[in-house]
Amino acid sequence: MSPARGPRGADHEHFDELAVGWALHALEPEDEALFSRHLPDCSRCARTVAETSEVMAALAADLPPAEPSDDLHERIRAAVEQTEQVRRPAPPAVGPITQPDDGHLPRRPGGTDSGRPGLAPPWRPTRIRRDGWRGRTPQALMAAVAAVVVGLGVWNVVLSTSRQQAEETAAEQQHIVQALLTPGKATIAPLSSNGHRVATVVVRDGQIQVVTSGLEVNDEASTTYVVWGTSEAAPVPLGVFDVVRPRLDLRTVGSDHTGLDDFSGYAISLEKGRKAPAKPTDIVANGQVTS
Amino acid sequence: MGAVSRPVRRSDEDSRDADLVRRIRAGDRGAVDGLYERFRRPAFALARRILADDVLAEDVLQDVFVTVWRDPGAFDRSRGSVASWVLTMVHHKAVDAVRREESHRRRQARAEEDLARSVPTATRDVQDEVLSRGVSQRVRTALGGLPAVQREALTLAYYGGYTQREVAALTGAPLGTVKTRMLAGMRRLRQELGERAGGRSAGGAVDGTAPVDGPGR
Repeated sequence: MSPARGPRGADHEHFDELAVGWALHALEPEDEALFSRHLPDCSRCARTVAETSEVMAALAADLPPAEPSDDLHERIRAAVEQTEQVRRPAPPAVGPITQPDDGHLPRRPGGTDSGRPGLAPPWRPTRIRRDGWRGRTPQALMAAVAAVVVGLGVWNVVLSTSRQQAEETAAEQQHIVQALLTPGKATIAPLSSNGHRVATVVVRDGQIQVVTSGLEVNDEASTTYVVWGTSEAAPVPLGVFDVVRPRLDLRTVGSDHTGLDDFSGYAISLEKGRKAPAKPTDIVANGQVTS
Repeated sequence: MGAVSRPVRRSDEDSRDADLVRRIRAGDRGAVDGLYERFRRPAFALARRILADDVLAEDVLQDVFVTVWRDPGAFDRSRGSVASWVLTMVHHKAVDAVRREESHRRRQARAEEDLARSVPTATRDVQDEVLSRGVSQRVRTALGGLPAVQREALTLAYYGGYTQREVAALTGAPLGTVKTRMLAGMRRLRQELGERAGGRSAGGAVDGTAPVDGPGR
């Protein structure tokens, strides 16, 4: 956690400044990382972000009035028609969703993470029930669940102080854990990038699920993540998915490939375009099956 | 954190907006139309100002309104108005888009123009002033009343989508100075704009009434 927390006189001025920069979406990556660790614990900064956002909204009134084209409204209607709502709390989203989550997390400069005005839910660790499933769950699934719990740390950077949203977030986490604990045989492969666990591939019942916990949100208009099955032969593209939130998520990867669990390892690549190429261009994470 | 002496009309608008969001949460697609009617002009004006491109600006609007539909639970009324939620999302998505789209070179070229635009609005065309609506006028006055360096820092970040380091480079000021100017400018704007920009929140660092040792958590 950040060393300086909460309002503490002059020491806090630095965070006051960062709060304004954060709301303006103008922080440098290192400041953003620093502030995102500070904000969840600081109600003063949460208010500063909110106040700055209100001023910004008022500034939009200073602009020459402009009218979007008529067909924009139609396009939005059509897009809304085709878009399912996120249910909160809800079972984890399945398959690609067309819009990114607006959780406010550190983004890389020029990155694809997008606007959420300081309203994302805070993070609370979910206490996993220790009774019931213990002893019935294969070791490897336990490992996947452990990965989820470790991944929860990523959520720590989300902001806001709304209790309702905290509960909803906790419920969401619970769903991910429960989905992973569904009984049955599963193939598990933890995937790492530069030594850091960023995803876990879970294959069962002819379906691939990916628990992501640190992969960057991709630009869904022009890129896609691809899951590859790896073995001694050339990698085989198994399916595509999008990362819609930088924090922990469970994505189900649509695949028409059979024998999904025939591989000794799995890898994830980020590709231009919306389809899997024949060969991976940029492997962002890989790992071996542990079960 | 109640709002003190906020004009009735403003809070009426707020609660109508909040009703729309409630309907969206309940799965009413028609309520998105209502929200679009309400915010399309300022949203488009803002996105277009940042992106200098109508097509990209419309893409941002589409992204924003679909995001609102997809996840209305992200709105937290205790943290501010629907207007600030929607317009901040427009701002952030437009800034993300401008950072993706614009090459460094083009941005440098545009910086000159952005700097020029940060001159006090009061010196602009008088007729423009007369035509502007009341709210707009008030914002212009508030911006015009800021010390030039504060106005410059804020307008480059807000309308230009520049990061603090870019603002520092453009204005020839140290990064730390830019951060200080943005905070000081925001404090002043909030004071000037008063309840108009007050929202429900008070007691943060840009709120003049906040003691620095105010209630934390």
